Amino acid sequence: MQKKLNPMQRFLAIRGIASVLTAFAGVIVLMIIFSILNPNFAKPNSLLTLMRSVVPFLLVGIGQAYVCITGNIDLSIGSVLGMSAMISATMMCNGSHPLVAVLVAFLACMFTGFINGLLVGKFKLPPFIGTLGTMTIARGVAQLANGNYNTDNIGSEGAAQMYKDILYYGKTLGIYNGVWIGLIVWAIFFYILTFTRSGRHIYAIGSNVDAARLSGVNVFATTTKAYMVSAFCAFLTGLITMAQSGMGDMSAGMSYEMYAVAAAVIGGVSTLGGSGLLVGVIAGASVWAILQSGLTFANVPVAFRNIIIGLIVVACVLFDVLRRDGKKSSKKAKKEAVKVA
Amino acid sequence: MSEYAVSMEHITKTFPGVKALDDVQLHLRAGEVMALLGENGAGKSTLMKILSGVYTRDSGSIEIFGHKVEGDLNTKQAQELGVAIIHQELNMCQHLSVSANMFLGREILKGGRMDTAEMNRQAREQLAKLGIHDLDPNTTVGDLTVGRQQMVEIAKALLINAKVLVMDEPSSALSNAEIEEMFRIVRELRSQGCAIVYISHRLQELHHIVDSVTIMRDGHYITEGKFTDFTMEQIIANMVGHEITNQFPRDTVPRGKKVLEVKHLRAGRMVKDVSFDAYEGEVLGFSGLVGAGRTETMRAIFGADPKDGGEIILDGKKLTIHNPADAIRQGIVLAPEDRKKDGLCTKLSIRSNIALPNLDLICAKLGTVLRGKENKMIEKGKSSLTIKMSSAEVDAGSLSGGNQQKVVVAKWLARDSRVVIFDEPTRGIDVAAKVEIYEIINQLKKNGVVVIIVSSELPEVMGISDRILVMCNGRITGEVDPRGTTEEEIMTYATRFGSN
Repeated sequence: MQKKLNPMQRFLAIRGIASVLTAFAGVIVLMIIFSILNPNFAKPNSLLTLMRSVVPFLLVGIGQAYVCITGNIDLSIGSVLGMSAMISATMMCNGSHPLVAVLVAFLACMFTGFINGLLVGKFKLPPFIGTLGTMTIARGVAQLANGNYNTDNIGSEGAAQMYKDILYYGKTLGIYNGVWIGLIVWAIFFYILTFTRSGRHIYAIGSNVDAARLSGVNVFATTTKAYMVSAFCAFLTGLITMAQSGMGDMSAGMSYEMYAVAAAVIGGVSTLGGSGLLVGVIAGASVWAILQSGLTFANVPVAFRNIIIGLIVVACVLFDVLRRDGKKSSKKAKKEAVKVA
Repeated sequence: MSEYAVSMEHITKTFPGVKALDDVQLHLRAGEVMALLGENGAGKSTLMKILSGVYTRDSGSIEIFGHKVEGDLNTKQAQELGVAIIHQELNMCQHLSVSANMFLGREILKGGRMDTAEMNRQAREQLAKLGIHDLDPNTTVGDLTVGRQQMVEIAKALLINAKVLVMDEPSSALSNAEIEEMFRIVRELRSQGCAIVYISHRLQELHHIVDSVTIMRDGHYITEGKFTDFTMEQIIANMVGHEITNQFPRDTVPRGKKVLEVKHLRAGRMVKDVSFDAYEGEVLGFSGLVGAGRTETMRAIFGADPKDGGEIILDGKKLTIHNPADAIRQGIVLAPEDRKKDGLCTKLSIRSNIALPNLDLICAKLGTVLRGKENKMIEKGKSSLTIKMSSAEVDAGSLSGGNQQKVVVAKWLARDSRVVIFDEPTRGIDVAAKVEIYEIINQLKKNGVVVIIVSSELPEVMGISDRILVMCNGRITGEVDPRGTTEEEIMTYATRFGSN
């Protein structure tokens, strides 16, 4: 009975694809505007740098998208990022091998993610409050790591330089390594969310947690997985930020939880849970990064930059909401019609 | 001036692609309760939405109390003409008080401040007119039972001088006692000269209050007349377009071996001491009043709520069930009472919903969902249940009630379970879909599955089960054979509150 759709129709029938396409359209429009304002913006070299600057937003956006799709929010992302940067930098400055430093930072971050899952998934704390707590604690740990000081430079010899090259400065096939890392991580989490059982469970508890539980879904385990993905992404972003600056900054990652929300939401992820595509986060993160660097290229003063970015983000999401509302009212009528038929 | 309070003639309404109403008429007299009947999707709601101004008609005429409606009717006009709808889902601010809800948007002010005393007084007066004297207008609405909330909604409608009341499935969420009270109020309103449109799928309750009927099918007007002029068979035949010879098909299968044994189950305040056995080839019905602990018993068996004690034995093996996942894995599944709240992820596709509890069957070792196996599962569910849908990718929430229920059932048919529990399997779905659900239950029974049904509709539980257990106050108080019992006998057991 079911009609065979051609690939194009099937693509357009994916739920939530419209928001993603809107976001990518936004990326293109912004690229065009900024290229006109300053022709240097679209030069190959600045494009390469631009791609690299998308990566941090992309990574934290992926994490926040996972958590948002379960119907929760993770406010601890920025602090976990800072913790990752500070722990790894402090240990490297004190002579640890980068691998050891990274491992310790990894464990600390994942533990935070697990605690988030425990608070929200097991003890049913409102996610806003639960992760507000871990956000504050993790920032405290970041400050404590080097005795309330930023660290010295991790240096540029041997392993330390290799660390910086692998994560930030080096290139593979002409493209910065950070971009490759972002893409690989994205691909892995895209696969998990779209094609695996855990991914299905994440959507299900975001859509209707009671129905999911009665269908045999382990709500605690699923919530925890989402928070640990988020923590992992923040951890990785922390390493990259640290590689970039070459030192541990106690305020690293400040406000990144909100940038993450922006990347996810601009990309079409619903903060209410149950819907969103990870492809959209690429567009969402790009919009954010393009605005930052595009406005710099256009010589807009910092204060105005913030105001403009704020306005554009609200406009992006507002546009999407209005578009969806328009669709809903016609859909409602159609639904009624289908029922009648 | 016509003899009717409301008369609608030649109403036509088209939605993109579909004619929802085609030349429909409706005549309602003051001081009369009219049942508007039809299957889900017959156009009842669309017609009522036109009457209340939510939708505008394409053509046709509407006259309300002699006032001919020119042009489009909007909700405000309809309200001024005295039309009010009591919705199936109550529209109440749960955190506000009774009088605050009744006066919402029309608060009485005195010197710029809200005159709470006056609003309470008027609220009390209005409730008293409905014969409700024991409801304090300061009570928070969320603390009231659903039945009481409905009373408040009716009182609210009367406060703005509603003369035409449309009640959409008012009895579906009420207990028997609450239904009695609701009927009393409807009769009271009728004697005061209100005209009432009563929409319900519970045909058995109509004779208590209904004076006339109007029947619709597929967007067409079929017939109208005095209720007493129709037999129940005629009404059903008019609704579905063909005769349903057997409203409750029940196949008899020889009773097999004992499959499920529940011993001294205790859970929370509602399940005090429940023991029963269930056998292969039987449908075991659970009857009782709302609040007797039936749903809670089933939820405890399924692991949805924690147990305080007792044993569950399946095929001679004692089970440990801490959560629904344990129960599902060991062969006990539950189709819950509240589809929207507990049964479906309405924002996800039909595909995801059917696959959700069965991902263990269709996943590769590392957790990748195997598309081919999944498609096969969806196909099987779709064909064995005749779910009407354009594709498996549409939101489950966009289906009609009957089709949503079929998706819930399809979820559980996809795996071989030993015990399938249905809690209120046919609430709010139409006659034809009900029969389809019963057929599925029969099929399960033939396949040797134990089917347990919890239902508040006595005719249903008597019509479909092979054995009925009656619960009261957290205990099983009686066992009856549905073929040789009466509603009275079941009610006797259902009200046997004892000290023990």
